[in-house]
Amino acid sequence: MESLYLVFAGLGVFLVIFAVLFNKLRVANISVNEALAQIDVQLKRRADLIPNLVETVKGYAAHESVTFTKVTEARSATMKATTFDDKVSSDNMLTGALRGLLAISENYPDLKASANFLALQEELSTTENKIAFARQYYNDSVLVANSLVTTIPTNMFAGVAGVKLRDFYAVENEADRKLPDVKF
Amino acid sequence: MTFKDVAKRNLRKSIYLLVFMFFFVILVAISIGYYLGIDPTIIFIPALLIAIFSSVGGYWGADTLVMSITKAKIITPEENPQLHNLVDEMAIASGIKKPKVAIVQDTAPNAFATGRDEDHALIAFTTGILEVMDREQLQGVIAHEMAHIKNRDTLVGVIATVSAGLIAVLVDFSWRLAFSSRGGKKGGNPLLLLGAVIAIILAPVAAMLIKAAITRKREELADASAVAFTRNPAGLRRALEALRDDSSVVTSDNKSVAHLYIESPLVKSKLSSWFDTHPPIQDRIDLLTSMES
Repeated sequence: MESLYLVFAGLGVFLVIFAVLFNKLRVANISVNEALAQIDVQLKRRADLIPNLVETVKGYAAHESVTFTKVTEARSATMKATTFDDKVSSDNMLTGALRGLLAISENYPDLKASANFLALQEELSTTENKIAFARQYYNDSVLVANSLVTTIPTNMFAGVAGVKLRDFYAVENEADRKLPDVKF
Repeated sequence: MTFKDVAKRNLRKSIYLLVFMFFFVILVAISIGYYLGIDPTIIFIPALLIAIFSSVGGYWGADTLVMSITKAKIITPEENPQLHNLVDEMAIASGIKKPKVAIVQDTAPNAFATGRDEDHALIAFTTGILEVMDREQLQGVIAHEMAHIKNRDTLVGVIATVSAGLIAVLVDFSWRLAFSSRGGKKGGNPLLLLGAVIAIILAPVAAMLIKAAITRKREELADASAVAFTRNPAGLRRALEALRDDSSVVTSDNKSVAHLYIESPLVKSKLSSWFDTHPPIQDRIDLLTSMES
């Protein structure tokens, strides 16, 4: 009789521990998904800003068509990207193209002085920052989730909870790793 | 030292101080009970209730109360797009909801955060700070204030204030009781009695010291978390340097909200004091500089 109680008690303790660890894994996984969604929101915002920016710069520097084409192509690549890897690479491409666009604007004092351009620059630089911070938050969330998946005791339940190792949002070149440096 | 080490160390020390405060309150209650020759719970429970009610009111109404004391006015994204953008950025970096943004008409550069949780949070800036600081500095300041919100420093502040207030109420009670029940059942070991009297006299001072120590720890923690959000210690460091080099003081300064500001708004003296709500600004700058390398 007594041993039966012991078995039930043991089972109860196991269930509580299981529930706590299971939930911990699931919550970590959800926050990774949320963080990823935030990156998408900010990338979309940037894509929406670009036509306006390109039009403004064109008004002052119409003959820099190569740069405009680069930006427009990179933008449409980000819009088409569906897989995680595509998103990361097209995002990096667009960041580079935008940097080129802002660099040529340095050569046009009238453009730099226009109120419309200044407002766009602030929008663009804050969006670049938001993308960087969203990536950073995503990577922090991935770090938490991956630690849970690989360390004892949560790793024993990762399979049951359906939580797998997640990819970090890698930035391609070393210069991009820093906060985007959009100088005005 | 990385920001993670700093955050861990400060969190641990804050907890020690809070635990210490808890036992200190009990000790004071026992001392008073012993001095008056009565059961400590008779005075302890009403005093506890008074302290809790008065501070819970302040806690729940923290955002509105602080706004009316400091005359802060909420602003929309249209009124100051860059400030709102910066707050948006830090909300993303810290993973919390975007707080309300407010402006205080004051030429002294300063900023503060308030609100009991993310949903009621508010960050206020003086017009002075918006004038003197660039984007990077403001980002550091906002990160520091966001850290206060994320670390639930308003809650820690309330616990510290409740305990300090509780001790004040307890001591006040005991003096009234001591005078009204002259010749009551006093007695026992004279040495213990003397100890009880000293404890009662020193208790309010000690409580203020502990409260100041707790809020100082929270400031350090907020600096460390701010770096975790921006990954850029230079921004906050340059912001603190600008505050250090500015000698003006917020005009509507009020002791009750002093601990909320990024830099103590009370009269500045070169000497650091154990009663200060903030660590010396140079120490904070040095710590941030050490994180930069």
